[in-house]
Amino acid sequence: MSAPCLNRFEKPPLLRADSISKAFGGVQALLNVSFEVSEGTILGIIGPNGAGKTTLFNVITSAYPPDSGQLFLDRKKIQNRKVHELVRLGIARTFQNVELFENMTALENVMVGQYTQTRCGIFAAAARLPWAVAEEKQAREEAMALLSFVGIAQYAENRSGNLPFGWQRLLEIARALAAKPRLLLLDEPAAGLNAVETRRLGNLIERIRHQGVTILLVEHDMNLTMTICDRIIVLNYGKILAHGTPEEIQSNPAVMAAYLGTSEVSPLIYD
Amino acid sequence: MKPECFKNRLYYGIFLPVIAVSGFVIDSPYYLQVLTFIGINTLLTIGLNMLMGYAGQISLGHAAFYGIGAYTTTILTVHFDFSPWAALPCTLVVTGMVAFLVGLPMLKLTGYYLGMGTLGFGMIVYVLFREWSHVTGGSSGMVGIPSLSLGPVSFSDSRNYFYLVWMIVLVCIVFCQRLIQSRVGRALRSISDSENAAKALGVDTKDLKLKIFILSALFAAMAGFLYAHLVTFISPGSFDFMVSIRMVTMVVIGGMASIWGALLGASVLTLLPECLHAFADFEMVVYGLILMLIMIFMPRGLTRGLMDIYERSVSKQI
Repeated sequence: MSAPCLNRFEKPPLLRADSISKAFGGVQALLNVSFEVSEGTILGIIGPNGAGKTTLFNVITSAYPPDSGQLFLDRKKIQNRKVHELVRLGIARTFQNVELFENMTALENVMVGQYTQTRCGIFAAAARLPWAVAEEKQAREEAMALLSFVGIAQYAENRSGNLPFGWQRLLEIARALAAKPRLLLLDEPAAGLNAVETRRLGNLIERIRHQGVTILLVEHDMNLTMTICDRIIVLNYGKILAHGTPEEIQSNPAVMAAYLGTSEVSPLIYD
Repeated sequence: MKPECFKNRLYYGIFLPVIAVSGFVIDSPYYLQVLTFIGINTLLTIGLNMLMGYAGQISLGHAAFYGIGAYTTTILTVHFDFSPWAALPCTLVVTGMVAFLVGLPMLKLTGYYLGMGTLGFGMIVYVLFREWSHVTGGSSGMVGIPSLSLGPVSFSDSRNYFYLVWMIVLVCIVFCQRLIQSRVGRALRSISDSENAAKALGVDTKDLKLKIFILSALFAAMAGFLYAHLVTFISPGSFDFMVSIRMVTMVVIGGMASIWGALLGASVLTLLPECLHAFADFEMVVYGLILMLIMIFMPRGLTRGLMDIYERSVSKQI
């Protein structure tokens, strides 16, 4: 599927993926996946289990190199870079199975997220240089502000591994935001949350977008995805099955077939 | 934050007077030397704890760096007539470079494999000390290492040496504590919890692990320097595999990821054998038994274990 044409009133895409393919042994996890994300929008990626959503995330964040295809962030090529370099370019992510630093406090977790935004090194830290002390103080205040932004400021000094699961998810988002990303990748942020928590999460994601952060969202909760996403991509067996607004996706017969499994339409899907 | 800060002050409040007073009160050179050894072992343990406890990277070959430190200063002072103070920076540079070259490929390994790799490195260096006899003196070692002196102060006096070593330990403790509470320290701790997440937040984990590996090697080299000029005689036996294991034991017994734990672990494991001489033939049996009991009843090390007991007794009173 080729990328849709841009008209000149639209902003250039923040992220562009150009025929990304990735295979693990005999399993073709991604095949010629192309799409664009415009700045300030929320793109949802849905699809049945094993469709390649997380692989796509891992390719975008350079956890694995793609077998072929190219990735651009703001026209800059980003594939084959080191994972830690991408953060400096403005890409941050959360994990499907929450990966917090469990033995550190919530506040410290967010402060690790500020790693690329601060510069104090071993000797500046040991000598407690005045600028390093000032930087530390400012970082702490900003981290507290982020914790209040996601609504868990009162647990700043709790060991993050001891927080209830829902708050761990929020903490992980706060930690990713601390890197001041332009593109935020959320890998199933609502998994394991109850209905109330999911609604609050949806609200949080909207607020993050209002701050100008572009969001790529992999999510199984259809209700959440359909409410907050501007556009949605449906992946199935590593290929893009459909691409469009939530309304278009909901009425797309191929998508229904992929989710519900109708024998008549399936040749279309597996072609 | 606040209780942590208070606890830390309390530890300094115990540590500083104990060191200052014991230097004054103790007259026996033997006891002063034992205390000096505790200081040297504390240096080793603090350095290894930065790597193992905080960054979560095991090293079973750290005695190699201890030995390289001791041998470098010995060779420079004995063969080349360097003054010990000129030999010190050379010792640190040599050890740092060895750590860099070894760490670069080695730190790609993790977990047990890193343990095996560093174990192999430790053995190679030990064999080098023993067999490269025209440089290292072979298995009989080297004698005639000069004592340290600074102007009119001679450190061949055991009390002066005691103070010198503990001054250095104090500087290292302050250094490590500040480091741990900083941006770099948080990044280090994040590696041991989830290296993937640390990378995804922009931490160059490979680079940071290498830096901390070199730092801990430098601590060991410093300890080796102090050891060589204290005993003025070295042989390969002081830097063999068992010494590496003993360093790891000190970290684990004291409590991982705790600087004061490193001090406690080094103290207990240095003093224990001295106290157990009374058991004569059964010394090692009792020693092993005590280690087993500590690990069974305080699996997270002495510092954490004692804190738990204290907290339990406080909450009972209330």
